[in-house]
Amino acid sequence: MSRREGSLEDPQADSSVSPLPHLEAKIQQTHSLARLLTKYAEQLLQEYVQHQGDPFGLPGFSPPRPPVAGLSAPAPGHAGLPVPERLRLDAAALAVLPPLLDVVRRRQAELNPRAARLLRRLEDAARQARALGAAVEAVLGALGAETGGPRAEPATAAAAAIAAAATGGVFPAKVLGLRVCSLYLEWVSRTEADLGQLAPGGPA
Amino acid sequence: MMDIFLCLKQPSRMVDSKRMRMTSNFQWILLTFLLLYLMNQVSSQKKRTPHDLKCVTNNLQVWDCSWRAPSGAGRGAAYEVCIENGSHSCYRLEKNTKIPALSPGDHEVTINFGSSISKFTLNEKDVSFIPDTPEILNLSADFSTSTLHLKWNDKGSVFPRHSNVIWEIKILRKKNMEIVKIMTHNTTLNGKDTVHHWSWTSDMPLECATHYVGIRCHIDDPKFSGHKEWSNWSLLKNISWSSDSQTKVFPQDKVILVGSDITVCCVTQEKVVLALIGSTNCPLIHLDGENVAIKIHNISASESSGTNVVFSVEDNMFGTVIFAGYPPDIPQKLNCETYDLKEIVCTWNPGRPTSLVGPRNTSYTLFESFSGKCVRYKRAEVPTNESYQLFFQMLSNQEIYNFTLNARNPLGQSESTLLVNVTEKVHPHTPTSVKVKDINSTAVTLSWHLPGNFAKIKLLCQIEINKTNSVHELRNITMKGVENSSYLIAVDKLNPYTIYTFRIRCSTKPFWKWSKWSNEKQYLTTEAIPSKGPDTWREWSSDGKNLIIYWKPLSINEANGKILSYNVSCSSDEETQSLSEILDPQHKAEIQLDKNDYIISVVAKNSVGSSPPSKIASMEIPNDDLKIEQAVGMGNGILLTWNYDPNMTCDYVIKWCNSSRSEPCLMDWKKVPSNSTETVIESDQFRPGVRYNFFLYGCRNQGYQLLRSIIGYVEELAPTVAPNFTVEDTSADSILVRWEDIPVEELRGFLRGYLFYFEKGERDTSKMRGLESGRSDIKVKNITDISQKTLRIVDLQGKTSYHLVLRAYTDGGMGPEKSMFVVTKENSVGLIIAILIPVAVAVIVGVVTSILCYRKREWIKETFYPDIPNPENCKALQFQKSVCEGSSALKTLEMNRCTPNNVEVLETRSMVPKTEDTEIISAVAERPEDSSDVEPENHVVVSYCPPVIEEEIANPGADEAGGASQVIYIDIQSMYQPQAKPEEEPENDPVGGAGYKPQMHLPVTSTVEDLAAEDDLDKTAGYRPQANVNTWNLVSPDSPRSTDSSSEIVSFGSPCSINSRQFLIPPKDEESPKSSGGGWSFTNFFQNKPND
Repeated sequence: MSRREGSLEDPQADSSVSPLPHLEAKIQQTHSLARLLTKYAEQLLQEYVQHQGDPFGLPGFSPPRPPVAGLSAPAPGHAGLPVPERLRLDAAALAVLPPLLDVVRRRQAELNPRAARLLRRLEDAARQARALGAAVEAVLGALGAETGGPRAEPATAAAAAIAAAATGGVFPAKVLGLRVCSLYLEWVSRTEADLGQLAPGGPA
Repeated sequence: MMDIFLCLKQPSRMVDSKRMRMTSNFQWILLTFLLLYLMNQVSSQKKRTPHDLKCVTNNLQVWDCSWRAPSGAGRGAAYEVCIENGSHSCYRLEKNTKIPALSPGDHEVTINFGSSISKFTLNEKDVSFIPDTPEILNLSADFSTSTLHLKWNDKGSVFPRHSNVIWEIKILRKKNMEIVKIMTHNTTLNGKDTVHHWSWTSDMPLECATHYVGIRCHIDDPKFSGHKEWSNWSLLKNISWSSDSQTKVFPQDKVILVGSDITVCCVTQEKVVLALIGSTNCPLIHLDGENVAIKIHNISASESSGTNVVFSVEDNMFGTVIFAGYPPDIPQKLNCETYDLKEIVCTWNPGRPTSLVGPRNTSYTLFESFSGKCVRYKRAEVPTNESYQLFFQMLSNQEIYNFTLNARNPLGQSESTLLVNVTEKVHPHTPTSVKVKDINSTAVTLSWHLPGNFAKIKLLCQIEINKTNSVHELRNITMKGVENSSYLIAVDKLNPYTIYTFRIRCSTKPFWKWSKWSNEKQYLTTEAIPSKGPDTWREWSSDGKNLIIYWKPLSINEANGKILSYNVSCSSDEETQSLSEILDPQHKAEIQLDKNDYIISVVAKNSVGSSPPSKIASMEIPNDDLKIEQAVGMGNGILLTWNYDPNMTCDYVIKWCNSSRSEPCLMDWKKVPSNSTETVIESDQFRPGVRYNFFLYGCRNQGYQLLRSIIGYVEELAPTVAPNFTVEDTSADSILVRWEDIPVEELRGFLRGYLFYFEKGERDTSKMRGLESGRSDIKVKNITDISQKTLRIVDLQGKTSYHLVLRAYTDGGMGPEKSMFVVTKENSVGLIIAILIPVAVAVIVGVVTSILCYRKREWIKETFYPDIPNPENCKALQFQKSVCEGSSALKTLEMNRCTPNNVEVLETRSMVPKTEDTEIISAVAERPEDSSDVEPENHVVVSYCPPVIEEEIANPGADEAGGASQVIYIDIQSMYQPQAKPEEEPENDPVGGAGYKPQMHLPVTSTVEDLAAEDDLDKTAGYRPQANVNTWNLVSPDSPRSTDSSSEIVSFGSPCSINSRQFLIPPKDEESPKSSGGGWSFTNFFQNKPND
C-alpha cells in the first residue's frame, strides 16, 4: 500500500519515451489508485460510524448533511460534463479534502483517543486524497487539459471553516465528520468512475 | 332559622300530631328572636362610633393603626386619638394613624369622633408585623450551567434590631408560569441594608423555557410579640433565551455524573417528531411553542464519544452529546522515589475509570507544599490500567517533600498526599559497564557504573556469583556512594581456573528497593597448583609380572587448572625411582615389578605446579577367609556394608567390575574413610540386569587386604532366555526332563528357581496359554532348588501327548518359556493281556467243543449225518416244519425227493474241462463278481450228487504239479446229461447243472421234474448228500461264496449243501493262499456262531 502510494505521489517521476503508453499507464495507475481508495473510503466511513455511538450506526439513520465550506458533493450533472472538466472538479475536491480530514481526525482524537485504527485511517485518508488529487492533476496535464493549479486558499478556508464548525459542539462535529467522510467517499468513487472513462477498456 | 322557617311554613301539618312539642319549640324561637334583637341594638350602637381598631407594622418602629369610621362619617372626618402610654398623648388624625410602636402591655386608646367616643385596649400582641415587599435587584442566568442568580436588598437598616429573615423564592417556568420550585433562604438583618445573592441550578436548561423568579420574606423578631406575617411576593422577574431562530439542542456537550437525571430540550420552530437517546426512543415533554424536552433518568456511563441525544424534525435532525462519567477517583498507590537523587518520580494509579476522555479526561497536578512548586500531568491519554507518573526536579538541600496530587475533571476533583524523605526512597538504576579484573587465582576486582549522585548515602550492593554446575552465591557489600557513579570492589574466595558469572544489583541504606540486575559478566580465574594427588589404584596383570597403576582424573576443583601430565614413581626401602611422565588424558601406567613390596606415587601437574603425591602399595595383604556373597542394589546403586575393623587404619577401597568381562577386573573403584562401615556404590556405568563383582579392600599400613568379595546386581531383571531342556526318558506314565543352566549374561539376576508346567495336549492344538491364570488343567511345579537339573513327572497316562513348558525366574521376574511336546509310551502289558484273554478263552472253548464233538461223534453222526439220512432226523425237515416255515429264504432246505444218481468222476488235465464244468454248475459260480475274485487257473467247481460215486484218480501226482483236479459229478439221468459243449445250453438250463441234485432219482415225469425245477430253482440248487462223511468239511461263511448272505443260495456247511466242495478239495489246496480264507480260525468260529 505504502509503496503504491509512494509511487503515485510523484506520478510524473517516471518519464516514458512513448507518450501514449505512458498516458495509458498513468490513467490506469491512477484509476487503480482511485479504486483502491474507494474501498478504503468505504472502510473509513464504516469505521467512523462505528465510533460515533448510536444512533449513528443504526440502519435507517440519516443524519443531516450540513454544508461543508469549500466542498460540495458531486453535482447531479457531473456525469454529463466532459471528462477533463470532471477530472478538474475531482482534483479540486480532492485538494480540499485533506485538511478537512485532518480536522476530523483531530476532533476524533479528542472523542475517541483509543480508536487507533480510525485515527490511522483518517490520517491515511488525508494523505491518500492528496496523492490521488495529484495523480489526477498529472493525468489532466498529460491529457493537455488545463489544470486548476495549486489551490491552497480554498482548502485552507474550508479547513478553517470546518474547524470552527467542529468546535461548536460534539454532535455537530460528529455529523460534520461523517459528512466529510461521506464526501471523501463520494469524490473518490466519482474520480474512480471518471478515470474509468479514460482507462483502456472503459466506456470512453 | 331555617328550621324555624320550615316549621312556620308547615304549621297545619304539625298541629295535630305534635301539639305539645310545638309549644316548647315556639318558646325557644321567641328567645332566639329576643337575643337577636338585643345584639342588633348593640351593633347599631357600635356603628355609630369608631370601631374595629387594627394596627400593623412593617418595621417594628411605627404602627400603622386604622379603624372603621362610624356610620355617617364622611371622608376627611377628623378624629382625636388619645393613648395612655405612661403619659397621655392625644393626636388629631384622620381615619388611619401611624403611631410609634408602643411598649409591651395594654394601652388604652380613645378615639373621639364628635360626640361619640370609642375606647380600645391596644396591645403589641394585637399588632401584625408584615415586612415590606422585597424587591429583586437583579436576576441573571448562566446558561452554560443552567443557573439563575438572584440579587435583592434586605433593607435591614429600617429595622431596629437584628432579626432572622426567611426569604421564600419561587421559580416558575414556561409562559403559563408553572411553579417549578419554591425554596427558602435564611438571612439575618443586621441593621444595615444588605444585598443578598442566591443561585439556583435548573434541571432543565434555561434555554428551553422562560423562567420566572419571585421573592417574599418573613422576619422573625424574637422581641416582637405580635403577629409576624409574610411579606407580599415581589414582582416576578424572568429569564429567557433569545433564540436566533436556529434550532438548537440544550445542553450542549454536558458532562454529568453517572446515575443522575438530565433534561434535554430542543428549541425549534419546527415540529419535533422523534427524540432518541442513543438508540432509544424518548417521550417528548412539550414546552412553549414547538420546543420540546426529554428527561433522561439514571443515565449510564457513556462510551468514549459520549451519548448522543437526537431530535428529529420532519426533514432535519438536531442533537447533542451527553458525557456521563465519574469524578476522578482518589489517586491510589501514590509513590514518590528517586533513581539518582536528582529527580523524583511520582507514580500513582488513577483508580476507577471516569469514562471521560479527551478534554474531559482527568488532569493531575502534583504540588509540593514546602517549595510551593507544582508540575502538571500532560499526557493526553493513557491506557486505563496504566499507572501515571510525574517527574519532579529535586531541590538542593531539601530531602523531605510533601506532595499533594490533585485530580480534577468536569465532575469533580480528588487528591492524595504523600510526605517522603527521598534519601530513603532511592531505587537505583540498573548497574552498567560491569568489568572483572584479576587479582590472583582466587580473587578478582569487580567494577561497574551506577548513575546518580549517591555521595551522601551508603549503597548496599549484591553480587551474584555463578559457577558452572553449582548453586549461585550471593554476597552483600555495603559501600559509600560516590559522586562519579563508578564503583569498584574485590571479590575473593573464588576457585582457581573456574568460570564465574557475575552480576550486580544495588540498593541504598536504609533499604528501599533493589535495582534490576546488571548484565552478566563471565570470567575465568587463573590457575593454581592441583590441591591433591589423584585417586590411585593398582592391579596386577594377569600374568602377575606387571603392576598396572590406575588413577582418576582430578576434579575441576582439585585440578585448579588444566592437568598436563602425571608423574609416576616407585619407591622401596632402598631407593625411589621416577618411572615415567604420563600425559593427560592417559590415566594408567604399567610397571614391571618383582614381588617385593613397593610404594607407587602419582602426582598431577598443571602449568602452575605439581600436586601432592598419591601413594599406594604394590602388594596385597593375603586373606584366605573369603567367601563370595550376593547383593542386590537399589536401581541406581548398591549398598555395601561391613563391620568396623579397628585394624584398618587407612581407608577402604571398593572396586568393581562387570563379572563377565575378562581380567583384570576393574571398572572403577571408590575410596571410603576408614571409620565408615557402609557405602553406596553408584556409577553411570551400572546397568540393570548385569552382574558385577565387588571387592572390598581394607587398608592397613599402606597395604590393602581383600576383605569381601560380592557379586551383585544394581537391579535384577527377568531372564532373557528359557532354560534348554530335554526329555531324558519316557515311560507309559512318566517323563524325565533334564535342563541346562542359563548363562549369567542372560540370567540377569540371581536364579531363584524354575517353573515347570505340563498339560495334555497335541502339538498345534494345545497352546499353553495363560500359564499364570490358574488353569486347572495345567499342572505346575515350582522348583526352588536351583541345583536341581532334572525332574521326573509321574502319574501320566500312557500313549498320551503332553505339552511341557519350563521357565526360569529371578527376583526381577519370569523368564521366557520353552515348551516341548512329548508322547508317553504305550502300556504293552495291558495290551497283551487284552489280546491273550480272548484268545485263551477261544482256544478253551474250541478245545472243549472239539472234545465234546469227539466224544459225541457217534451221536453226532447218527443225529446229523447218518449213512442213510433219516428224513425224520433231518434238520432240514425240522426247519420246514417249524422254524423255516413260510420263509422263502430257507426253502432250499425243503427236502425233495432225491433220486440217486450215478456219479462219474472225471479228471482232466487241461483247463478246458474246467471251463465246461463251469458251464455246467450253478449260476452261483457264474456270478461276475465271483469270477473276478477267483483266479481261473485255480478255480475248481464241483458239481456233486450222491449217493453213487465213481471216483477215479487218474493222476495223483497232479496235485503236486499244482494242477486243479476236477471232479465232475455227472447226473446219469438222461435229461441232465452233461453236454460236451456246455456253452450251447447254459441259457436253457442255468440251474440244472449247478443246482440241487436229488439224492434219489425217483421215477417222475419230466413234466413234474420240470415243474419242480422251475418252482424250486433255489431249493434244488444246494443240497447234495455226501457219500463220504470223512471228506466233510465245514465251509466258512466268509468264503468267497458264502459271503453273499443275501443270496438265495444259502450254505449251511452241511452235507446237504452244494457248496460243500471243500471236502473235495485236495489237502494241498488248504495250504495255498487261496484256501486260507476258508480255513478254520477263531475268527471264523466266532463269526459263524450266530449261524449255528
